Amino acid sequence: MVIGGDTMHGFLKGNALLACCALGVASPSLAATQGSAGATSTGTVGISATVPGRVQISGLSDIVFGTVDPAVAAANSENVCVWSNTSGKGYTVTATGSGASNAFALSDGTNSLAYAVEWAGSSGQSAGTALVSGTALGGLSTTAANPTCSSGPVATASLIVRMTAANLQAAVASSYTGTLTLVVAPQ
Amino acid sequence: MPRHFPSAAHGRRTGRGAARRLIVGALGAICSILPSASHASAADKVRISALSDLSFGIITNFAADSVRSESLCLYAKSPPLDQYRITASGSGPGGSFDLTSGSDNLPYEVQWSASAGQSVGVPLMANQPLTAQQATASVDDCSKGAATTASLVVVVRSAAVSAASSGSYTGTLTLLVAPE
Repeated sequence: MVIGGDTMHGFLKGNALLACCALGVASPSLAATQGSAGATSTGTVGISATVPGRVQISGLSDIVFGTVDPAVAAANSENVCVWSNTSGKGYTVTATGSGASNAFALSDGTNSLAYAVEWAGSSGQSAGTALVSGTALGGLSTTAANPTCSSGPVATASLIVRMTAANLQAAVASSYTGTLTLVVAPQ
Repeated sequence: MPRHFPSAAHGRRTGRGAARRLIVGALGAICSILPSASHASAADKVRISALSDLSFGIITNFAADSVRSESLCLYAKSPPLDQYRITASGSGPGGSFDLTSGSDNLPYEVQWSASAGQSVGVPLMANQPLTAQQATASVDDCSKGAATTASLVVVVRSAAVSAASSGSYTGTLTLLVAPE
């Protein structure tokens, strides 16, 4: 889209973040037993291990809108991998932008261009639940078989970014960039 | 009432039979006390002690295998080689090496070394004896000589950790030692 002879670009950069939280579970009480001397001897060893709740988001790519037409709303989506090891494979996702007060906004250094973020708990989606900057969206679950989706489904969620025609029309013609940060946590 | 005595001929046959049985019995007795590397005798004695629980704590590195090992006292008096066999069984189904957390499980591997201070050993299969292990303890509680003479190694593979649900896992590993 050409506005006043200049081009307008939207550029979003995703960051893969890993969140973890330790379980507040007390170590189990075990007690090794010693064998006695004889024709055979038997001893036992208690073994314990705690696997903390973990999640991982991967498979993120930068989102490039290129030159957009201010008369038409723009949208872009991508498939990502989210893995969770909780018993229900649940997670939350929290997004923050690089605008003022973590707003979802691109910038050219002086001017800003607002955008919206949506999240879907399955891949291949072009629409999802709207995210509010800094507010966790919960109730999500994943089908990822491992932290990077190297086996099983290669993607488990969709990230959608939108710019309304009104916001495009209100923006000064320029090249805009920004960073969208996504934090996932076990649930 | 007249008593019936065996005839002289019958007595000679009986005597030869008894002699044969005596010879066979003597040979059997001799064979039974001959030292054997593969069969333990009633006098053989073994003991496993100085065992401690193994705790992995919170596994934070999902990308690397988690390993815990301990040195223990393994005594075997089984002349002439003082060898033993060891059989491990876990508390999972069928004696499998599995830790559990409710309905979730976390598999692990077991290794054995016939010397102390080792962090790598020979893999043990659940319920399958590892044979021809050499004992070096001089007394059954290792109160003299080396305090420990063997190593137990437990490994939780990174793939197993990544595949496991979060939780606190426990299990019991039983070690049965027998002379050879």
